[in-house]
Amino acid sequence: MVQERGPDTVDINVNMGPQHPSTHGVFRMVLTIDGERVIDVEPHIGYMHRGAEKLSENMDYRAAIGYQDRTDYLAQFLTEQAYCMAVEKLLELEVPERSEYIRVILCELNRVTSHLMFLGAFGIDLGYFGTSFTYGFRERERLQDIFEEVTGERMMYGYFRPGGLAWDVPDNFVQMIRDVLPHTRQGLKDLDMLMTQNEIVAARTKGIGAMNLEDSINWGLSGPMLRAAGSDWDLRKDKPYSIYDRFDYDIPVGSHGDVFDRYLVRLEEAYQSLRIVEQALDQLPDGPIMPEKMPRRLRGPDAEVYAAVEGPRGEYGIYIVSKGGDKAYRLKIRAPSFCNLAALRDMTVGNYVADAVAILGSIDIVLCDVDR
Amino acid sequence: MPDEESQTDAEAPAEGKKGEETPAKAEQAAAPEQPAAEKPKAKQPAEEEEEARPRPPAGGIADLLAEALPDVKLEAYQGMTDVIVEVERDDILNVMSVAKDDPRLDLKFLRCLFGVDLEAEGLEVVYQLLSFEKGHEVVIKTRLPSDDAHVASVTSVWKAANWHERETRDMFGITFDDHPHLVPLLLPEDMTDHFPLRKDNPLSEIEEWQGDELPEEGYGGAKKR
Repeated sequence: MVQERGPDTVDINVNMGPQHPSTHGVFRMVLTIDGERVIDVEPHIGYMHRGAEKLSENMDYRAAIGYQDRTDYLAQFLTEQAYCMAVEKLLELEVPERSEYIRVILCELNRVTSHLMFLGAFGIDLGYFGTSFTYGFRERERLQDIFEEVTGERMMYGYFRPGGLAWDVPDNFVQMIRDVLPHTRQGLKDLDMLMTQNEIVAARTKGIGAMNLEDSINWGLSGPMLRAAGSDWDLRKDKPYSIYDRFDYDIPVGSHGDVFDRYLVRLEEAYQSLRIVEQALDQLPDGPIMPEKMPRRLRGPDAEVYAAVEGPRGEYGIYIVSKGGDKAYRLKIRAPSFCNLAALRDMTVGNYVADAVAILGSIDIVLCDVDR
Repeated sequence: MPDEESQTDAEAPAEGKKGEETPAKAEQAAAPEQPAAEKPKAKQPAEEEEEARPRPPAGGIADLLAEALPDVKLEAYQGMTDVIVEVERDDILNVMSVAKDDPRLDLKFLRCLFGVDLEAEGLEVVYQLLSFEKGHEVVIKTRLPSDDAHVASVTSVWKAANWHERETRDMFGITFDDHPHLVPLLLPEDMTDHFPLRKDNPLSEIEEWQGDELPEEGYGGAKKR
């Protein structure tokens, strides 16, 4: 829409989305452009708002697991992990060793599938038209088959329970993963070879959408977005939960906080997750998967708990306010996509229109997580 | 209810209550001037809670806050996972700027900001803060009356608060004074008088499928059987 005709320049509003292949879901942003430069961005979210928090307040602790899956649908195990951890803290449940290990294995593989999805889609954002997407999805599919074998579902697993797991893993679980890991590693290498050294990728990503560390913290960014800017904050290392203190792995850190560093941090994180999986497979103990004294009905005390995991997109946290009874009185989801997306305007203004897509892609949003 | 009972027969339903008592007990050892901490905790959940609240660990974040804010009324207690500090709503902006900028506190990261509807007790705004450098975290809360729900915006302290406050306005109808752009974020732009996460907006009852018999009127599910 042309706003004003003058002798020199005219600012134009360009509407992008909500149905647009580059917005990774139903997300709309209105770009105000001056020539090819973006001078303002107004993001519009809420198209996927289903009231997951309200719904979770209206069903008992076990039933609400399903709603956690449906927030960040690319990291379902991690959302379940955060939710189950919160309920376990509230009820003081002790998770058996074996369950902890299986949870870590599945969560880290889930992180890899999420990052593979990012790497694939990121290539499309930069104009690869399917090459990276095919590479990423080929490997993702192998891991997805394992999840399907274990949980019976392809997307919404609902496999973790407060206290442990719904059922034990199949007998060939360890072998199944060991067989797939070399493929996954090779797939990551393929993507690495395809993109990291590519001149076009470098030109489209280096120095684009940069945000310095101070602003990143002020904007509440977390996960790879924050680490790309130079912080080494990772909940797995700095606030160890579950059994993450038993493994040897590194936290990749960027230095420029631009699109390229975010890509590199995620790529390296996927490698590190595979390292954790290998160690966890070696250490996987036998034993029960649920605590012996498990209450039939989960009733919380009158208290408040917060539990957070380091998700692929950042800190995914669950805050439960309990007033007794078998339901949460208030359940708040700290969605990393929501917090990261809030900084979109600051990152985009001043860049070219074409880069807006790359910047949005680099945030790696999941719209169901943004809107809840 | 005596505690021995719940411990001796250690039945499944006792699990929930155990969780309440352990922090209280641990605190008792440290602070013997609170002998009544145990009984009301186990029995009456809501009313007598004020006296039973366990104190936060000495030398922790609560003490640092009190040190940095000598003339502000802070009410700190140990929650199940975090130290919770309640402040008056007029002090919020002052408390938040000190929490972020004071080098002893260094709470530079606003994890989350959200509302809670406590019905008769009004609304509550919860701020979760974290320090990367010091590694400590704290939950700060403030209470607002439901019919006069406004509090100072903290967007001038953390830019991260921008969207969180807009979301909280959408869901609870809390006005954040001096917010730069307080328009609906998740809800439609014209939906400014209806606050879905307040407790006076219950979900309509979910009708579950009761069997193989189909309702005579069809599949709509609107008719009560």
